[in-house]
Amino acid sequence: MTRDRPGRSEESHIDIVPIGWVDALAVSVVAANLQTLIGLNAAALPSHPDPEYAYLPLRSQYAAGEIIKVLESIDDGARFKLGIVQCDLCTPILKFVFGESQLGGKAAVISLHRLRDKDSARTYLRAAKIGLHETGHLLGIGHCRIPDCLMAFVSSIEKLDGLPSRFCTACKYEISRSLNHIFGRT
Amino acid sequence: MKFSTRIMIVDDEEMICESLQAWFVKDGYQVETALSGEAALKLVEDFPADIYLVDIKMPGMDGIEFLSRLKEHQPNAAVVMMTAHGTVQTAVDAMKRGATDYFCKPFDPDELSLFMERLLANKALREENIALKELLSEHHDGFFDVFIAHSNPMRAIFARIEEVAPSSAPILITGETGVGKDMVAKAIHFRSDRSCGPFLAVNCGSLSESLLESELFGHERGAFTGAIKARRGRLEMAHNGTLFLDEVGEISPKMQVSLLRALEEKSLLRLGGSQPIASDFRLISATHRDLPSLIKENQCRDDFYYRINVITIDVPPLRERLDDIPVLADHFLRRYNEETGKSLGGFTQKALDLLASYHWPGNIRELRNVVERAVVIARGRMIGVEELTFVNPRADAGSMGSMTLREYEINQIKATLESCNGNILRASKRLGIDRSTLMRKMKRYQLGRC
Repeated sequence: MTRDRPGRSEESHIDIVPIGWVDALAVSVVAANLQTLIGLNAAALPSHPDPEYAYLPLRSQYAAGEIIKVLESIDDGARFKLGIVQCDLCTPILKFVFGESQLGGKAAVISLHRLRDKDSARTYLRAAKIGLHETGHLLGIGHCRIPDCLMAFVSSIEKLDGLPSRFCTACKYEISRSLNHIFGRT
Repeated sequence: MKFSTRIMIVDDEEMICESLQAWFVKDGYQVETALSGEAALKLVEDFPADIYLVDIKMPGMDGIEFLSRLKEHQPNAAVVMMTAHGTVQTAVDAMKRGATDYFCKPFDPDELSLFMERLLANKALREENIALKELLSEHHDGFFDVFIAHSNPMRAIFARIEEVAPSSAPILITGETGVGKDMVAKAIHFRSDRSCGPFLAVNCGSLSESLLESELFGHERGAFTGAIKARRGRLEMAHNGTLFLDEVGEISPKMQVSLLRALEEKSLLRLGGSQPIASDFRLISATHRDLPSLIKENQCRDDFYYRINVITIDVPPLRERLDDIPVLADHFLRRYNEETGKSLGGFTQKALDLLASYHWPGNIRELRNVVERAVVIARGRMIGVEELTFVNPRADAGSMGSMTLREYEINQIKATLESCNGNILRASKRLGIDRSTLMRKMKRYQLGRC
């Protein structure tokens, strides 16, 4: 279930935080996929301002790690925070990233910048896949060696498009075990 | 392979270390970081990595100096130099000094992925190369000795090896000392999907309990007096390969519990360690002891026995495959001819008869030693009875001495019937004669079944 109303995030498991201007439909699609494929209640929070604090003039990109730090510092709301930005993200070692997250941590961020396609449905599907992948990391799941699992490391948009929207059996089991451990589900 | 691959990142920029560490941890590697060359060299004691990612420009000890110092301790480690744009020439110089590769920071995600695949493939090739070299060197140590055989029991063993090699099920190899149980284990490994992985052998009977525990499970630094640095155990090193436990009957019940846990959970804890380490290995055990009777004596746990004994291969002693003795003796003769520069033509018929009549308590190993000694002392063109000396001669069957042929035959039939518990069919097969011939001889010599 996706809820757009602010102030209800304490009931959700993961808060989706648009940072700067973000396509609202993309936020909804990501939230719906988190609910459907992982079973996490997702709530969309009001937009945060543009992440100027993370801008790297030398690279003309935004530092994913800095955005994650800000998301991590949000005390209220759900246990997990997933930021969504339109700007291009990078890390100190990678020229760009589609998303970044803390393994077994609290916050992750995804960027729509390199996911854009003239077919907006494809853009949203790509965003959903990256959102699911980064959320998997938040649940402590590492990269998977099975190439058609959502937890496989994806290094290009072509590989992302070839990836089906599903987790392999082992990752699905690990996700369910992690959710059970964190939220006491049966 | 990733689970067992250790990576150390050496960079003075904490952010680079953290970022790379996070990426590699997500990819399933074991990762440590160091902010200087000096700190990295200290860390190497506790964390000897397979791959080092080293920044070239660092205050104090730079990447090039670290590379030289590291190579003194770990000549086979893969060292990858990291550089910012503009210092590629330095990276190329580093490769001339022994670095495996270099890359410029930051890199494309696709490049990093392919780069790691290439490094791992190189690592696998290197390990396979080492394994093949070991195999080649073992050619002279007798790897193929056990496979020089024509007899039906050994043909059945070869077929069994082919049959069970592809699975990952634990195997127990039984048989007397010297029958070549370790060679059967190696043959299974090299015919399995794990042949590119390591084959590690531990003789459980040659180590004290505490040493064996440390040898198998490894230990962390300071785990016990004298543990001055962390050490990987054989269970950990055998990841993706085969662990061969010889003389498994000598393992104490306490250690059997730890091994059982490692086998079931496919992970282990080093001595003094708290972090489980994943290890996927195939276990092949061997023993000359009767494990079921050890269970009755409470010296072997039944759960351990059933865990290691999913598949059993029983290697017959040499005296039960007399057909193999001439071919094996010839094989050893050719080998020692080559080694000693002699050109002995073979064995006299009497010598072959004597070899066939001996009871071979030391099996193939003993036959090899007997032939080696004979080749060294032989003066003529052929090896005769006089050149054959046995460590454990048996009065009734070991040597004809001054016996007549009739006495010798009686002794031989008696001994064979005794070893076959009076089973005439089995004794006749072992003697290489028909059942009816044996019965006729028994009647003529008035011999009973035992």
